Amino acid sequence: MRRQILGLALACFSLGRLAQAQDFKLFNREVEVHGFASQGFVYTNTNNWLTMNSSQGSAAFTDFGFNVSTSVTDKLRVGAQLYDRNLGQLGRYHPSLDWAFADYRFKSWFGVRGGKVKTTVGLYTDTQDEDFLRVFALLPQSVYPTDLRDATIAHLGGDVYGDIFLKHGLGDLYYTAYAGHRSDNAYSGYPYYFASFGAHIANLGGLQYGADLRWKTPLKGVLIGASRTNEDSSAKGTAINPFNPAAGLVPYSEFSKADWTNQFYGQYTVRRLRIDSEYRRYVRDQEIFNGNSESLADVRGWYISGAYRICKRLQIGSYYSRYTITNVVRGPLSAFYPPATDTSLPGNHDYDKVITGRVDLTRFWNAKIEGHFMNGYGSGPYPNGFYTQVNPQGFTPNTDALVVKTSINF
Amino acid sequence: MKFSKILLVLAGLMSSGAPNALASQVKVIANWSVRADTVSATDLKRVFLEERNSLADGTHVEPVLGKDGPVHEAFLQRYLEISQDDLQTYYRALVFTGRGSMPKELGSDAEVVAYVARTRGAIGYVSSEASLEGVKTLAIGVPSGSTERKLITRIEPDYPETLKRLNIGGTVRLRVVISAKGNVEECELLGGNPILGESAALAVKKWVYAAGRSRTITEISIQFGGR
Repeated sequence: MRRQILGLALACFSLGRLAQAQDFKLFNREVEVHGFASQGFVYTNTNNWLTMNSSQGSAAFTDFGFNVSTSVTDKLRVGAQLYDRNLGQLGRYHPSLDWAFADYRFKSWFGVRGGKVKTTVGLYTDTQDEDFLRVFALLPQSVYPTDLRDATIAHLGGDVYGDIFLKHGLGDLYYTAYAGHRSDNAYSGYPYYFASFGAHIANLGGLQYGADLRWKTPLKGVLIGASRTNEDSSAKGTAINPFNPAAGLVPYSEFSKADWTNQFYGQYTVRRLRIDSEYRRYVRDQEIFNGNSESLADVRGWYISGAYRICKRLQIGSYYSRYTITNVVRGPLSAFYPPATDTSLPGNHDYDKVITGRVDLTRFWNAKIEGHFMNGYGSGPYPNGFYTQVNPQGFTPNTDALVVKTSINF
Repeated sequence: MKFSKILLVLAGLMSSGAPNALASQVKVIANWSVRADTVSATDLKRVFLEERNSLADGTHVEPVLGKDGPVHEAFLQRYLEISQDDLQTYYRALVFTGRGSMPKELGSDAEVVAYVARTRGAIGYVSSEASLEGVKTLAIGVPSGSTERKLITRIEPDYPETLKRLNIGGTVRLRVVISAKGNVEECELLGGNPILGESAALAVKKWVYAAGRSRTITEISIQFGGR
């Protein structure tokens, strides 16, 4: 732990120096280089959280990214970002190409991007890894589950986007429509969840398409928007047949019958105060175990958050985040998985009250301390941070968590 | 009487220390490749927030920022309506999603002027006292998001006798909020002599515009005396 802190301090110092020299010229074009790194520590009083051994105190909460970009012409921009993380049992320091695309902006109201593109869903899906952009160490997990980030973070495909400036003082509209292939990292939350059933998912992903429309209203500081995502995903691997466990691992596949997300959001900014609120509904209807049975999960989450800048160096924030899940299995496997439709049970919800404080030590370096007071552990087929593998003794209904995090960027 | 005249003259000669007057001491400058001579406040904001990278005439533009200081703060407050910290966060969100770049940030007016002078499409801002060699100054015009409202009744402002006799004149810039019905709701001095500005504002508040669909904001300039 001491070595990690020392290493981070050294990295902060080095990156702080680098921040002075982040651009260089290549073929007479300005090339920008930016990066970030964060290190967190989580302690929980009861359940282990986010796949960490957090009840013992865990510092397995590290991520970093590095990007290079340049404008090839006035309208064409190219760039790429590498990202890596270690979050408990997830990520495990297997780097991934976070985004890499070419962006051609014909007009302010019409542009196209192609390559691996960050997906625009709600206020923060595309920036959820960059915690230095906000007060909170962890975004509300009901809407932005960090363990399942791979499901929505990026797609290999393209976007069309633009800004439409409305006349008569009606504000501005911003639209993005996208289509592409989502591909989950083998070290992400969903494959890890599968492993609790003795399954191994070799590949998970599929077609993803959707749109986002946001309106900067004529009311000063008020933004509202809506996002829709449709998916046609599948997973393949091996699993233990619950009807015949003695047979060992057998081929496993699942594919979606319906898989969609609706998200609605609003943001109000006035002077030093920012208030966000989002609602998300995620419906996942899967044919599971090679079409043997069907699993219908209905996830609903919302939050309201407030962040206030007390002075240049100090910000505080708080949010209330509410997550519920219902799950019904139809077919032969229903014998093993009874319907879970009562969202008042702790296994089917997670209500999280959060307070946080952020100190900006320099322009590029911040530290945060955050308290989570959770009721429920929502451990259904769309997990919400609580996994049986790291909680073999079972779950307790309430979990309090202390999160300390520091991050740097340049 | 004599004392009040002295006060008038002193007030006329001194530059105002009010925040709006400070904003008026910011000059928006551009590289000579920028064809426009005027940019609307709305377009200026969109350029600096990287929502657009060209002006209405199609000229490619690239924003250039100054570093901390009163001129920088005044520019952010007046034209971008955002704090320095929020602006940095905004740019970082663009940079780390690949959707934009971090604008060039320069430490002094001289550096901004030099960079704008040699960089095609560059737009920056400096103190009105800065040497503007090699760059052009852009006037800030009517926001493109608002509709041009037809002026129906115009009342000419009084030119205070003392200032007129002492040949103290110049241009006064005002930000005017026009109601949907056409009345002037608000009138804010953006630049120029504060006494002339007060006189101009008294007159402008009596102006009547044609009715419109909604409230609009415009900027007007009124000239006192010959140049």
